[in-house]
Amino acid sequence: MLTRRTLSGLIAGALGAAAVGGCNRKRLPPGHISLWFSYGGRNRKVLLELVKQFHREQHAVRVVPTFQGDYFEGLTKLRTGLYVEQAPTVTHVIGEALPYLAEAQVLEPLEDIGSEVIDDLVPALSQAGTFVGGGDRPLVGLPFNRSTPVAYYNKSIFRQLGLRPPKTWAELRSAARSACLRDSERTTRFGFSCPVDWWFWVAMVGQAGGEVVAPNGEVTLGDQAGVRALRLWQTMVHDERSMKPPPGRDYNAWEAANNDFLAGRVAMIWTSTAFLRYLEDNAPFAVGTAPLPSQQRAAVPTGGTFFVVPKGARPEERTAAMTFLRWMMAPAQANAWATRTGYMTVSKRGRAKLAQDGFFAQHPNDRVTVDQLKHARPWPWATQLLRIQREAVQPRLEAAVLARRDAATVLDEARKSLEGV
Amino acid sequence: MSEASLAPVRARHPYLLLLPTALVLGVFFIYPVAVALYRSFFAWDLLTDPQFVGTAHYSRLLAQGAVAGLVSRTLAYSLVVVLGAGSLGLLLAVLLNRPGRLYAFVRGSIFSAYIVSWVAVALLWLWILDPDAGVLSRAATGLGLGRIDWLGDPDLALYSLAGVSVWKITGYAMVIFLAGLQDIPKSVLEAAALDGATAWRRFWHVTWPLLRPTTVFVGTTSLIMSFQAFDIVRVMTQGGPIESTTVFVYAIYEQVFMNLRVGRASALTMVFFVFLLVLTAFQLWLWRRFSGRRTMGGS
Amino acid sequence: MRRSWWRVGGKGLLFAAALVWLAPYLWMVSTSFKTLPEIVAAPAYPLPSSLQWGAYEEVFSTIAVGRYLLNTLVMATAIATLQIALALPAGYALAKLRFCGRRAAFLSVLACLIIPAQVTFVPVFTMLGPLGLIDTMAALVLPFAVSAFGTFLVRQAMLAIPDEIIEAARLDGASEFTIVYRVLAPIVQPTLAALFLFSFVFHYSDYFWPLMMTTSDDVRTMPLAVALLREQGTGVRWHIVMAGNVVLSLPILALFAVTQRRIMQAVTARALS
Repeated sequence: MLTRRTLSGLIAGALGAAAVGGCNRKRLPPGHISLWFSYGGRNRKVLLELVKQFHREQHAVRVVPTFQGDYFEGLTKLRTGLYVEQAPTVTHVIGEALPYLAEAQVLEPLEDIGSEVIDDLVPALSQAGTFVGGGDRPLVGLPFNRSTPVAYYNKSIFRQLGLRPPKTWAELRSAARSACLRDSERTTRFGFSCPVDWWFWVAMVGQAGGEVVAPNGEVTLGDQAGVRALRLWQTMVHDERSMKPPPGRDYNAWEAANNDFLAGRVAMIWTSTAFLRYLEDNAPFAVGTAPLPSQQRAAVPTGGTFFVVPKGARPEERTAAMTFLRWMMAPAQANAWATRTGYMTVSKRGRAKLAQDGFFAQHPNDRVTVDQLKHARPWPWATQLLRIQREAVQPRLEAAVLARRDAATVLDEARKSLEGV
Repeated sequence: MSEASLAPVRARHPYLLLLPTALVLGVFFIYPVAVALYRSFFAWDLLTDPQFVGTAHYSRLLAQGAVAGLVSRTLAYSLVVVLGAGSLGLLLAVLLNRPGRLYAFVRGSIFSAYIVSWVAVALLWLWILDPDAGVLSRAATGLGLGRIDWLGDPDLALYSLAGVSVWKITGYAMVIFLAGLQDIPKSVLEAAALDGATAWRRFWHVTWPLLRPTTVFVGTTSLIMSFQAFDIVRVMTQGGPIESTTVFVYAIYEQVFMNLRVGRASALTMVFFVFLLVLTAFQLWLWRRFSGRRTMGGS
Repeated sequence: MRRSWWRVGGKGLLFAAALVWLAPYLWMVSTSFKTLPEIVAAPAYPLPSSLQWGAYEEVFSTIAVGRYLLNTLVMATAIATLQIALALPAGYALAKLRFCGRRAAFLSVLACLIIPAQVTFVPVFTMLGPLGLIDTMAALVLPFAVSAFGTFLVRQAMLAIPDEIIEAARLDGASEFTIVYRVLAPIVQPTLAALFLFSFVFHYSDYFWPLMMTTSDDVRTMPLAVALLREQGTGVRWHIVMAGNVVLSLPILALFAVTQRRIMQAVTARALS
């Protein structure tokens, strides 16, 4: 199968390819900046279209966008890239990771993008008011694909049963019970579903009047509010069997919740506003949105990513990055991104423009998401936030809800796990 | 180990012959493990300065019982994969060890699963095992088995993953067993047949003992494959539900990628390494016992 | 009478086996030709209502398939070839030559069998970074230029070769190099074929290493491209993901189909002896 000649030819070729590749290491040519992103599917397409448009409108700056795996792979690549001083000019990171990167001092301040841009950012979606303990922190992240949780309900089921979107936790429970369909042994339709995910738990902690991190920096995990939030899920899953915890972790669970909703296997879900277009387009029934219910108060967290400029870029690259980001933050682009993907526009003027053009009149579901923003609570940006999420809380929520471990004990363990190393 | 029988022409020859291998393995495998050993005594996130923490990572891992869980999950998964793929592979090899287009076709289709990428296989089975929309779940419901949450049930998920892996690598085991079967001289089996031995007895008393080295080989290699299970976990369960599918390699990935803890991941790596060494020693002992003087796979 | 029952049973079993292994592929192909509403409405229905090429259009407009495929083939071929080329002398030394430290060398190779890439990538990345090798073919190929597994396989195969062959070659004045590549390599050819196959298959479908070692699209490989099709969290657009799977799997399956005869022959001809 392998003769000596083909073998030696192949070896020479392999070494040659490796050598050429090795010498060929390129720095980006002048005027070019790199942009690392973590989207697949439609989001990636819209981003690439925007970059193309940017290139049509000006010729000084060229953006080279590259996919870097999912958010966590992208974050790890950013860290390894910083370590060997080959970080990208611009990238985007999830909000929870931003305080950690800021604390490690690997992000360039972005103030010189100009007050025109900064003042135009929707405060609830931007960095404003996020750092725990407040104080004057440099601006390090510009909001990009930003979202909040929102309730989606199947209008035909709700109409048929004479139900209204729930406004309180009690109403949520009764609506979820009413919308269940059961045959002799199993539930064929659940009233409610929502990924057993930290994001929605934080929403409920806020609604129950708690904070994940106290203003003095103490990690309280909401104290009693955290316990009450977890118990609501436990009650709905186990006692009332009205909530379906979607199988899978992380994005798999989110996808499962969406699929169940589209297939009519659940009547109402909580998920990201980012999926509004997708759900509207693919549901064989009318989709309604509603604000999340309140308990002590109305509250939702925000989600999604921020653009950051990692340290290490040369001054001219930094300037080019600013040019690009300024363009991306402008009302037209902020709106283009929002209306094509379902994320929320980060520009105040952009939002006014959408209202003026009658976008919200045509898309009442989008109006709900924007109105809900007034209840958005800023993240407590503590350095440890990502670990509070990934290490302390997220894995334990699953245990508490699926295996029904005592909520107070579980959250105690979570708090303890953050002590030490 | 059998004896190397030849004296080298020049004393330096063996070293020269081994040099490229030593270089590559040294640089890309042994050195990184040494680095991991060093870093396992530090708390480090890749960005801020490492802090020396002594053996804190290790005592934490042991104290929380995290290691015990990882070891038992990894072993359970591997056991199902090795035994499942091995026995199915052997059965299919025996059935398919004959000429003919039909047999070649069946052999090819079974082996093709080994060719297709883990990610593709994982995505495909994620869809097949979807508890509501998946074909297999629909079939189970149709047969009156009720709703089976293959990947969502903490008691079942690990075995669902193992099942998918069995599907994936049975073709591999089958091909190796076919190779082993071809090695058995026809005359031996014919002699047994002439003696009036039934098909089953021929298999049990002639074929199976002669296949031992092959069996050991299949066992070892599929064990290695199963220990490195990663893509399937990453795509299908992300280690959940409730840690039930968090096997070693995925746990290491989780520490580096999600928890930003390179030091703790390094400690976990060293524990993994020790675990594998113990297991390898155990296996070496098994080879000695069961393959006598024959080295594994050797003839 | 009994014999024919056996035969029918055996055939039935084979048919079932073929079905178990082929059905998932058929399912994959069938799903790729559906539309999303169709999938949502009747996910388990075996056939698409009509052949919808939309998913494939999406795949080909998203991925520069030719480019990625070429990268993948170059990478996997280079790795498999280097592994064979370097495993031969090492296997020969470990199997046949007496020298000090042989046992230790062999055990070190065995130890390398089990180290996963998730462990090595940080040190390797930080080593290759300053050398300017990140994002090059070298970063994808060099770390796998030697396979511990391959070295082990070749050593096992060499053990079975009688010393007389080597002694005879030496008497003819052959150098060690000639002995390894011209005398012994043809004898262990089935093992080399098997090694090539295992290695090629593994690296063709590797997602993790190429993702971590590349930062631009220049040397990226197919599994990475296919990941672009998935929009995390939204709700899987199964038809597109399955079309991506088909596009990823077809080349290697086709390669296998074309070479199947020879591979199976080579591998089963005393591959592991």
